[in-house]
Amino acid sequence: MALQLMAEKWSGEVSVVNIGATPQDKGTRSHILKIGGEKSLPCLFQEGPLPNKPQIVFEVWDILPLDWPDELTRGYKNVLGDPVKWAQMCVKEYKAQGICLRLQGAHQDFGNKSPEEEAQLVQKILESVRVPLIILGCGDEAKDNLLLPACSEAAKQERCLIGPATQDNYKTIVASVLADGHNIIAESPIDINIAKQLNVLISDMGLNLERIVMDPTIGALGYGLEYAYSIMERSRLAGLSGDKTLACPFICFVGQEAWRAKEAKVAPAEQGVIWETLTATALIQAGADLLVMRHPKAIEEVTKYVDNLFER
Amino acid sequence: MHKFKVTFYPDNKAVEVAQDTTILSAAISCGVYIKSDCGGDGVCGRCKVILKKGKVLTQPTGIIEAQERKHNIYLACLTTVHSDLEVEVPVESRMEMHSGFQGIYSASEEVESQEAVLGGKLFKHSPLATKLYLELPRPNLNDSLSDLDRLFRGIRKAQDLPVMQTGLSNIRQLGELLRDSDWKITVTLGKRNDTVEIVLVEPGDTSNKNFGFCFDIGTTTISGQLVDLNTKKISGTRITYNKQASFGADVITRIIYARQQEGMEKLHAAVTQTMNQIIKELTLEHSVDLNDVTCIVCTGNTTMIHLLLRVDPTYIRREPYVPTANFLPVLRASEAGIIINPRGLLSCVPGVSSYVGGDATSGVLSSGLYKERDLSILIDIGTNGEIALGNRDFLVACAASAGPAFEGSGVKCGMRASGGAIQKVKIKPGDFSLEFSTIADTRPTGICGSGYIDLIAAMLTAGVMDRSGKIKAVEHKRIRKGENGKEFVVVFKEDSGSGEDIVITEADIENIKRAKAAIYSASAVLIKHMDFKISDVKKIFIAGGFGTSLDINSAIKIGLLPDLERKRFFFIGNSALAGARQMLLSAEATRVSEELARKITYFELSVDAGYMDEYMAALFFPHTDLERFSSAAGRRS
Repeated sequence: MALQLMAEKWSGEVSVVNIGATPQDKGTRSHILKIGGEKSLPCLFQEGPLPNKPQIVFEVWDILPLDWPDELTRGYKNVLGDPVKWAQMCVKEYKAQGICLRLQGAHQDFGNKSPEEEAQLVQKILESVRVPLIILGCGDEAKDNLLLPACSEAAKQERCLIGPATQDNYKTIVASVLADGHNIIAESPIDINIAKQLNVLISDMGLNLERIVMDPTIGALGYGLEYAYSIMERSRLAGLSGDKTLACPFICFVGQEAWRAKEAKVAPAEQGVIWETLTATALIQAGADLLVMRHPKAIEEVTKYVDNLFER
Repeated sequence: MHKFKVTFYPDNKAVEVAQDTTILSAAISCGVYIKSDCGGDGVCGRCKVILKKGKVLTQPTGIIEAQERKHNIYLACLTTVHSDLEVEVPVESRMEMHSGFQGIYSASEEVESQEAVLGGKLFKHSPLATKLYLELPRPNLNDSLSDLDRLFRGIRKAQDLPVMQTGLSNIRQLGELLRDSDWKITVTLGKRNDTVEIVLVEPGDTSNKNFGFCFDIGTTTISGQLVDLNTKKISGTRITYNKQASFGADVITRIIYARQQEGMEKLHAAVTQTMNQIIKELTLEHSVDLNDVTCIVCTGNTTMIHLLLRVDPTYIRREPYVPTANFLPVLRASEAGIIINPRGLLSCVPGVSSYVGGDATSGVLSSGLYKERDLSILIDIGTNGEIALGNRDFLVACAASAGPAFEGSGVKCGMRASGGAIQKVKIKPGDFSLEFSTIADTRPTGICGSGYIDLIAAMLTAGVMDRSGKIKAVEHKRIRKGENGKEFVVVFKEDSGSGEDIVITEADIENIKRAKAAIYSASAVLIKHMDFKISDVKKIFIAGGFGTSLDINSAIKIGLLPDLERKRFFFIGNSALAGARQMLLSAEATRVSEELARKITYFELSVDAGYMDEYMAALFFPHTDLERFSSAAGRRS
């Protein structure tokens, strides 16, 4: 007799978030990054549909990233410090499906660029590449509250993903994202309660849960990956069990965390790539929907891994 | 060592103290009570005083701002005496002590006055101490029984009592007393555990004057009631802050303080002074002779009872958290420093464990929870809240330390539920115009626990703050930046009775959020631990110093109480005090309370793996899991 597998039946499903607007939606993007929509736990294809592959986007900075090791900068020769060229290189040479623009230069310790200047940059990037765009603030709450509304307006109609919104600083960002038709990143500090509370607070302001992508805050391999894994697993279990306020897709800043690891920076070449790759694949198994990564080789490997996984 | 005189205003009380004494301890030693939530550690900032005259030394602290320093404001606990001083204690730092709260507290008093609140049969009337008038036959050559045996025989003739005993001092005076009073005497019989004792022999007939007191000794407030033991009537009630609050706001700080030099003596003196003052005031008011007060029953959490009896509470806070005693024998009140009839008795309601004390037992007793057929829960909302779950088949209880916020302490404009306290609030969405009512309809001077609950619910509904408790950043005359973050003005100073703005700060909201989270999560974990669902609970008894002014919808809206049908909720006021009164009036109630204390299973929340998760999830208005509060959440989308 054939073995009958016990399949879990889930009452909920992860919401689908569309990043990027094509001319059909009055935007100018060449395609849409569609994430979420899972009706089963990660990789359990036999239990329910997992309609959308995890997506990987390239991280691009508005300024020259100072602490990136040689191994990481090697692939971006001559474009670092010029975000427009950098983004174009990602798309042309490495076939990037999306760009994550980090506006670090707006931070007072990194050049203190004005919101207007950064908004112009966003416009330029949108003109020079046609892939969907993710816009990240500089990490200073007060500055982000000026910076992100300006960028949001500059990218109006393009349905970007903008963030981060945190529990202590979400109102201004939500208001502009709401007005300009974007999606939002809700960041919580490895805490399922705060993740949920923040989603409630954001949706209380009128932004649909279907426009929220959660950043659960991750750690790299060897640096707390298992905590992130367990929080993501708990959120996803709650989401699939019918808790709509936790049924949002995840964004994971893999590159940022992996390349902070000592092992990635100072070890023999290749180890950093492996570190970033392994962090990414582990998080995909935890349920990551959108991965922001840095090294072209690591991205290539993870893309292969995802294609392999979904080839059925 | 130099001695200096310190005078406190407006009390106009003075005391001589040695150099280097802190102003706080000088104040305590002359009966001026200054707030001090941290027990003199210099961190809570409640003990600000104004130096009018004299020289002091003070430690630097961030709590006193430069502006305040200019006005000679100091922290009483960090400032020492270095010359004769004149010190003004401002209203905010003063601990409100006495004066009549009768009537003002009427809401819960109504409930408290009821005999055995719910569930049928009353306890048989048989007070802890009874008086019996006897006319003994004179001895003669044929009836030569000794005086004492004659007395015993006389008592046995009137009542069927088994074992009797009496003290030497009674026997010493007996011969003369009997003859002087022409063999007409009144004996006071006290129940000391299983034996009956002749407490007192008095000349003549005083049997119609027999009074007792019951007390609920809370961490923050003490309530006392004078009861006529013959008629079972309550003559009067007094509620006041526990003077021990000067040594710390919670039991743990007090246990630590008890280990300091003379710490135990000070704590003991503070509680007995508070009780003696209540006794004195009530007896004076009702023209009762202290000698006619023959017994007293006390309930309270385990630490409070230890401190009352001057028993070392140290081991209550050390693992494995074992108290010195849960069941205490009936003692003489004078042994504990309580001034009633010198030979009067003192009985304490038996406790369950270190953190579920006699107040829980007496709450279960008076609520009738132990007789319920359906699953019921008793939630006693206090600084050391207790929660008991069960029915006539089983009883479990746990402690939920909520802090003093609901009793109006530890919050900026907090006060007890007494005259002038804001108890109901309505805020109009949009323009934030505000309506409120105060207890006794006097000008508002502060906000009481039920007022805070109503206020926070109203702020949520009107959109003044978000679900995490952050006040919205909108331009409005009521919203402003205060010393400690954002605050919302409830009453402007023109309309307040204190001449100052009445505000609620984000820090206050945070305090209340933690307190309500502690109560709710403890209830939820206890119910889950017993494998029930919250919806299985058929009756919810709410006890605490709220009175009937607590709005259930508001309490559910902020997530303090579970979202169940409103008709399942019952207010029982101060259930601990009601239970103590039942014990005062009935030996049967005493017996039942002993059974209950043995029967209640103590559940230690700190060892439950799910408690921390539950607590964290409850730190939101009403709760992170909005599904649990579907009727209250009122999602705006």
